[in-house]
Amino acid sequence: MSAEKATGAALKVEGLTAGYGAGSQVLHGLDLTVASGEICAVLGPNGAGKTTLLRALSGVVRGRGTAELDGTSLLGRAPEEVARRGVAHVPEGRGTFTALSVEDNLRVGAYIRRDTAGVTAALDRVYGYFPVLAERRRQTAGSLSGGEQQMLAIGRALMLAPRLLLLDEPSLGLSPIITRELFRIVKAINKEERTTVVVVEQNAHLALETASRAHVLEAGRFVLSGGSAQIRADGQVAQAYLGYGI
Amino acid sequence: MSGFFQQVVLGLGSGAIYASLALALVLIYRFTDIVNFAQGELAMFSTYIAWQLTAAGVPFWLALPITLAVSFLGGVLIERLVIRPFEGGPELTVVIVTVGLFVFVNALAGLIWSFLVKSVPSPFPDGALDVGGVNISLQTLGTLGVVAAVMGLLFLLFQKTKIGLAMRAVANDPASARLVGIRVGRVLALGWGLSATVGAISGILVAPVLFLDPNLMGGVLVYAFAAATLGGFDSPVGAVVGGLIVGVAETLSGAYVDAIGSDLKIGVPLAIIVVVLLVRPRGLFGHAVVERV
Amino acid sequence: MKSTSETAERETATEAVPAATARVLPPWARWVLLALAAAAVLYAPFYFAPFRVFQLTLVLVYAVVLLGLNLLVGYSGQISLGHGAFFAVGAYGTAILMRDGDIPYLLTLPIAAAVTFVLGLAFGVPALRLRGLYLALVTLSMAIFLPPLLKRFPELTGGSQGLSVEQPASPAWTGLAEDQWLYYVSLAVAVVAFVLVRNLLRSRAGRALLAVRENEAAAEVMGVRPSFYKTLAFAWSAMLAGVGGAVSTWVIGYVAPDSFTVVLSINLLAGLVIGGLASLSGAVYGAFFVMFVSSVAQDISGAAPGIASGLLIIAVMLIAPTGVAGLVRRLTAAARRRLAKE
Repeated sequence: MSAEKATGAALKVEGLTAGYGAGSQVLHGLDLTVASGEICAVLGPNGAGKTTLLRALSGVVRGRGTAELDGTSLLGRAPEEVARRGVAHVPEGRGTFTALSVEDNLRVGAYIRRDTAGVTAALDRVYGYFPVLAERRRQTAGSLSGGEQQMLAIGRALMLAPRLLLLDEPSLGLSPIITRELFRIVKAINKEERTTVVVVEQNAHLALETASRAHVLEAGRFVLSGGSAQIRADGQVAQAYLGYGI
Repeated sequence: MSGFFQQVVLGLGSGAIYASLALALVLIYRFTDIVNFAQGELAMFSTYIAWQLTAAGVPFWLALPITLAVSFLGGVLIERLVIRPFEGGPELTVVIVTVGLFVFVNALAGLIWSFLVKSVPSPFPDGALDVGGVNISLQTLGTLGVVAAVMGLLFLLFQKTKIGLAMRAVANDPASARLVGIRVGRVLALGWGLSATVGAISGILVAPVLFLDPNLMGGVLVYAFAAATLGGFDSPVGAVVGGLIVGVAETLSGAYVDAIGSDLKIGVPLAIIVVVLLVRPRGLFGHAVVERV
Repeated sequence: MKSTSETAERETATEAVPAATARVLPPWARWVLLALAAAAVLYAPFYFAPFRVFQLTLVLVYAVVLLGLNLLVGYSGQISLGHGAFFAVGAYGTAILMRDGDIPYLLTLPIAAAVTFVLGLAFGVPALRLRGLYLALVTLSMAIFLPPLLKRFPELTGGSQGLSVEQPASPAWTGLAEDQWLYYVSLAVAVVAFVLVRNLLRSRAGRALLAVRENEAAAEVMGVRPSFYKTLAFAWSAMLAGVGGAVSTWVIGYVAPDSFTVVLSINLLAGLVIGGLASLSGAVYGAFFVMFVSSVAQDISGAAPGIASGLLIIAVMLIAPTGVAGLVRRLTAAARRRLAKE
């Protein structure tokens, strides 16, 4: 990890299974390759295992199989150790530190970094992406609106200088306008920071616009994979799996 | 009237001691949602270490940092060895475990140092200031000063340092703290170590007043519980304010309410606990109590 | 951690409603074993010296108290660090009635039971509003406050000296010594208490309690009113402690504030945990522990019992959260499997 900007890393997942205790396996052997600096969307209906996939990658739930980030194995490590290897997970429901100020949230996001100058620069960049956070830097995170909290959660993840950014349903509970703005920023971040992004979304339309590749997950298995344009063109097929058009 | 203020000053003096033990309780509660019933006993044990060192000829101001360091390590070790397996488990289990720790540490001190009462010299000089007819002993002033200093240092730690920021993050949301790479286990151990250190200070402050024996902190713990309950179990400021209020309430009611006298004084903190829990369970400064289902 | 405790709870929950486990022994053999055990219990006062009989009687007394505490802690998931206080109320109430009232001693038992039941009810209502941890604090407060309160009213309680009462004499027709008679009386009380609690746990109310402990919200959805059953558990539990207290006054013939300090409450909780939470037989194992710790503490007044019980509590929670009862269950199950193989 360089002092200034980290660059994205390639994610290679093979035969990933995960679940919650015996008899409740959610993922049944997923293969997924995300190129460095790519945005990859994972689509699928509720309960397909999208959240579990991200949780397994970040160590929140235990995954089996292989998942490597530029050759470094991610599985079998605690979440804090995965984070220290450059994976920033923005969980569903955002997971901001509600009792801490906006700025403290961002600073704690850079907890594992030792380069003070880099952290200050990263803080400025996050405020650049999300000016509203700069305005509210002294407020507690709990007092922010839903959209602002989501921005804070993404901003906090950026502070880690991640090589891989995992976004879980960033549109959840947000208005379409704010969601669109958020995805625009995610795209900008991906372009400028060269961060690899895996985004899990119900809003397939927006996700496909943002991502270069997409995978459709159903009942713990990928049923459709390909370039975003291809998936979109294959709208008929997707509709069959997703239950809604793209 | 000066008699009244005299009682208030006395109450603040003992209140500061309650505040320091309450602070120790709150430190652990904030991080782990655990009320450490053994907190007082750990403080008592630390006090014995200080006593042992001074009895062996170590000057007090050298014995103090050694004791605090040992207490810190002890707190870390207890978290790692005894508490860690139960974190996140049912509250009932954790309460029972800290009660077990209470019984064990109390008996261990008795085994090592016997149950005979020992007298401990005060770190503060004798004498008193006269402020408008109210006698303020240097002991009281010193105690208040130490507690203020502890409070100030904790404030600096939490607000101005990186590890303090991480500790606040863990207290707020351990799961999210892991996602930013904070090693939560280490922070929790650190919290227990800090708490044991603050508790040690309260033991060392109270020992010259009450004399040292393995049951030194049993009574103080009840007052500290009252202080923490009144202030709010998750609020360090609340612990200090609560401690001072409990101390003043105790001396005033002992002095002015005949029915209470000295033998039923313990009823004052107990009444405070019960009333606060029934009227305002989160205390004066605490955050809303969320029911775990 | 959560998962291990959950399995532990499930294990104990099945014990409350005995499952049809594979029985290797034929029914008649079980009856023979049971009869042998009963005979041993009945013959004990003739076999042991009076002091041992006295100790066994105390075990029966503590078993009744622990049955009650188990109802509260083990089965309804509430914490009490102050059950010694209800025990003390039963003991003192009986002592005062036996001293002042001209009533047969056996009548003091239902009175003590009624008084502590009402007290428990009165306590159970505010307890509902408290999270487990705070309930622990309040009950602890109660246990701490009781001894100074008892000392405060010497006309009634005899102050710190306590009260001596004339112990119930053994009826002439029995031909029993006093300690033997008291043993059988305590045994009768304990057996009745066991049968009552067992039936209670198998009743609708018992199943409701378990449901509330496992998941209060879910129980509520199923139409169980958690508050009602939790309060009731508190009342029953206090009542059994009071009954134990009453019998202890008959057995010991003496009450003093220092017998009812917070140490007693903690010993009771320790006994319960070590014996086995949410298990009927656990109350008996725990009662041996409480008796042992209390008597050893009197004998040598040293640190040994504290160190032992402190370590035991932590070790049991760590290694065997179902206590001695759970261990015994596992051992017998293993023995059965072995027998079945042969």
